[in-house]
Amino acid sequence: MDKGMSILVVDDFPTMRRIVRSLLKELGFTNVEEAEDGQEALGKLKDGGFEFVVSDWNMPNLDGLEMLKQIRADDGMKALPVLMVTAEAKKENIVAAAQAGANGYIVKPFTAATLEEKLNKIFEKLGK
Amino acid sequence: MSGEARQAVAPEGVHGDDLVVRIGQLTRMLRDSMRELGLDKEVEKAAEAIPDARARLNYVASMTEQAADRALNAVDRAQPLQTEIETRAETLDQQWRTWFENPMELDQARQLVNDTRGYLAAVPEMARDTSKELLEIMMAQDFQDLTGQVIKKMMEVILEVENQLLQVLLESVPEGEERDALRQRMEDRNAADTRKREEASLVNGPQLTAEGDGIVSNQDQVDDLLDELGF
Repeated sequence: MDKGMSILVVDDFPTMRRIVRSLLKELGFTNVEEAEDGQEALGKLKDGGFEFVVSDWNMPNLDGLEMLKQIRADDGMKALPVLMVTAEAKKENIVAAAQAGANGYIVKPFTAATLEEKLNKIFEKLGK
Repeated sequence: MSGEARQAVAPEGVHGDDLVVRIGQLTRMLRDSMRELGLDKEVEKAAEAIPDARARLNYVASMTEQAADRALNAVDRAQPLQTEIETRAETLDQQWRTWFENPMELDQARQLVNDTRGYLAAVPEMARDTSKELLEIMMAQDFQDLTGQVIKKMMEVILEVENQLLQVLLESVPEGEERDALRQRMEDRNAADTRKREEASLVNGPQLTAEGDGIVSNQDQVDDLLDELGF
């Protein structure tokens, strides 16, 4: 698995983006960019070059679920792995995310160990 | 009635009682009008929103307190480690300096060498433990995101309360400029609110308590549910 893979972190709270970035760095992933909502994220993803997305759900302009749906609907982006990291904790949220094609779902607050575990699980499944 | 009795006693009493009776009548009229216009329901809704706002503020207060405790505890654990690294190095450095000024017997030097090697072997673990505490302090900052979301949600609730109360106010102001201005203000606010309410009901922010139907309280439950769904 290529630790140089480029990752997009999407969350409207800068503190959370910073925390995720730091955790990814701890795990060896230093090629990380940020977006503050689904709209900005789609813009960056369409430009290409990203291999992984870590995204919040509750964001202005375009929320995480809508962004995920648009990613899965786009030929160029549909295979992009997307890990949801969100405070949304109702069963219907998890079901909706799974059905929309999320590769994983982490509920906030989370631990560094959980992030590592879920990332590895996704990489395993993708055969990376 | 006592009013009549007072009337007979002093002239000032007449004016005072008239006022009391009039106020009583107006109060009754206001109550009846409110009920007729359905405004008492609006006020009730506004009152009901207060406990929700209180619960959210409670959540924010407890999250920030927990985060502060977490960070401070991590500092408490890391500080002694750093102090030990520092003082042991200073002690050994002093001993080496002394030795160089006056090179001593081999046996005593051997002791110093062993102590120094022991120190070098111990530092990486102490440094790693400190790093762990720094990581813990970083993770403790996640409260900012969660409380921020709850506060945003609370603003929506407060806006709703304001709306209900403005509604009551609107009905109590007589026709004219003042009322039109108030109505305009409400319409502007309503436009913004309706947009917000049309957003998916899937966006609720952090749950204030872990109990309740359909609420997932930790990562293990999330994983179980995903397994159930076959993902």
